[in-house]
Amino acid sequence: MKIIKNLAVFLVMFSVFWVTHVYGGEKSILFHAGLGQRSSLNDIKKVFEKRNPDIKVNFSYKGSGYFIADITRSKQGDLFMPGEEFYLLQAVERGFLTDYNPKTDIPAYFVTVIVTPRGNPKNIKSIEDFARPGVRVGLGNPKSCAIGIWHQKTFEKAGIWDKVKENATMSAKCIPELGNACQHRAIDATIIWTPTAVLYLRDVEIIPIEHKYRGIIKLPVGILKFARYRDEAQKLMDFILSEEGRAIFHTHAYAVNPNIPVDKQGFCLDGTTDQDMEYLVNAAKAVKDKSFPVTKEIIGDLSGEVLRQKKTTRAGD
Amino acid sequence: MALKSRGGWWPALCIGITFIVLAVYLLLVASNWIYLGWHDTVYFFSKSRMWARFWLTVWTSTVSTSFSLLIGIPAGYALSRFRFPCRYIIATVIDLPIVVAPAVIGAFLFGITTRFPFDWISEHYSIYIGRNVYGVLLVQFTVTAAFCARLMKASFDMIPTRFEAVSHSLGASPFRTFFKVVLPMAKNGIIASMIVVWARAAAEWEGLMLFVGATEGKTDILPFAIYLDWNGGMMGWVTSMSILSILMAISAVSAMKIIGGKSNAW
Repeated sequence: MKIIKNLAVFLVMFSVFWVTHVYGGEKSILFHAGLGQRSSLNDIKKVFEKRNPDIKVNFSYKGSGYFIADITRSKQGDLFMPGEEFYLLQAVERGFLTDYNPKTDIPAYFVTVIVTPRGNPKNIKSIEDFARPGVRVGLGNPKSCAIGIWHQKTFEKAGIWDKVKENATMSAKCIPELGNACQHRAIDATIIWTPTAVLYLRDVEIIPIEHKYRGIIKLPVGILKFARYRDEAQKLMDFILSEEGRAIFHTHAYAVNPNIPVDKQGFCLDGTTDQDMEYLVNAAKAVKDKSFPVTKEIIGDLSGEVLRQKKTTRAGD
Repeated sequence: MALKSRGGWWPALCIGITFIVLAVYLLLVASNWIYLGWHDTVYFFSKSRMWARFWLTVWTSTVSTSFSLLIGIPAGYALSRFRFPCRYIIATVIDLPIVVAPAVIGAFLFGITTRFPFDWISEHYSIYIGRNVYGVLLVQFTVTAAFCARLMKASFDMIPTRFEAVSHSLGASPFRTFFKVVLPMAKNGIIASMIVVWARAAAEWEGLMLFVGATEGKTDILPFAIYLDWNGGMMGWVTSMSILSILMAISAVSAMKIIGGKSNAW
C-alpha cells in the first residue's frame, strides 16, 4: 500500500512539473535529414551551434523513404536533406519546397564503388565480374532505395543486367543492409556509395569502378515552405554549402568538387574523383593494417574515420 | 500440483524442447558477446554515451508508465467491475493498440498533434510535441496505456468481489473500498503488470521511427539507437547496446516473477 501511495505522490508531482515546464526561448531548427548523413551532419551541428549559440539544430533522422509521408502529415520542419535528389524532387513536386536550385544547392556527391567481404573471396575486379556464375550479388530494391535504381542503371549500361539479376541473392530495402551483408559475408559483392562504404573499412574491400560505370549522385538540401525559422535555416544552409561545410562532408568520404563532369545519366566522364577513390582504398588498408601510415598524403581527409575505426575491433566512436 | 516428470518419453521430450529453446537463446547472446570481444565490451560499456542512452530509456519509460498507470488502474477497475453501456465495445477498442502494429500508432499520432488544440498550443506557447522527448513520451504512453488497462483488468478480475461486498455492507464508500480493500489485494498483480508495461515502453521503436525521428542524445532510446547505429555501420555499438537491452529485459522479467509470481497476466 505504501508503495502505491508513494507512487501516487510522485506521479502528481511529476505531472505538475511536466505541465509547468515550458520549452525555453531558444530557436530550434527542425532538420529532416537522411540517416546516412548522420555522421557529417552531427559534425556540422557541432561547429554551427558553437558559432550561433542562440540557434539549436534539432535533427529528425529517418530513412529517406519516410520523409514525404511525415512532411505531408505534419507540415513541420525547416530544412530537408534526404539521401538522394529523387526524394527532394518528390517534395518539390508536392509544393513543399519552392526555391530549390539543382545547380547550387548541392553540398556534396555520392560516388559508387564496389565492395566485397574482407579478402575478396570471389576475386571481383570490375563490373563485369558481377555476371560470373556463382557470385552472390546484393542488389537494392529500386522501389525503396536509390542505390537499387543505380544498380539497374549500371548493369544495364554494361549489358549484363539479366545475368546479374540471376546472381542476386538479396534485395535490400536500404543501403546499410548491403554494407552489413557484405561485412557479415552474406554476399560476395555489391555496389554502394562511398560515404556508406567508409563505415565498414575493417570488414570490406573497396574496389573503385572504372569511369564509364562510376555514378555521381547529388546530395541536395533545401528549405521547406512552412519553415518556422527561415532566416536561421538559411544561415545553416549557407554554412553547409560553404567551403567549410563541404570540407566536413569530405572527411566522411563524400565527393565535394562541385564541377565533376558527368553524362546525362549521371555517370562520370573523367578522373576528377580518382584521387578520392585512392584515399578510400588506402583508408581501408590503414584500418586493417596497423603498420600502414595514416598521413594526409595517403588517406586525404579520411583520418577521422580511420582513427575512429582503429580504436575498437567493432566500430563505434 | 506438478506432475512427476519421471517415466515416459512425452515429459522428457517436452523438457528437452524447453532446454533446446534455452540453449538457442544462450547461444544467441554468447555468440554476439564473443563477436564483440572483451576489449570492446569494456570500451563500449565504459562510454558515457551508452549510459546516457540507458538513463534516457529508463526515465522516459518510467514517466510514460506512470501516466499509463494513472489511466490504466481506474480503467482496468471499471472494465473488471462495473456494468455500463457499450462495455464490450470499449473493451474491444482498448485491446486494439495491443494487436495493431505500433507503426500505425506512430502514423496516426500525426493526426492529433497537427490539429486543435495541439497546433494552437505549439504556436502560442512554443511547447512542441513531436520531435523531442515529449514526442517519445507520447508514443510510449499511447502504445502502453491500453496495454496497461488490459493487464490491470486481469489483476482486478482475480480478486473475488465478496470482499468489496463486505466492505460496502460495513458502510465504506466505493472510493474507500477501492483504496483500502481492492488496491492492497491487487498490489502484486499491479506491480507485476507495471513492470511488463515498463518493459514494453522501453522496447518501443516503430512508432518513434515514424512520429519522432532521432535526435541523438534526446530522443534515441536504446532500441532506436540500435537501429540508428546499425544504419551507421557501428556494429560495436549495436552489439553492446543489444546486450544491455537483453540484460535490462532479464532484470525486468525476473523482478516481475519474484514480485508478482501469482499474477495471471503471464
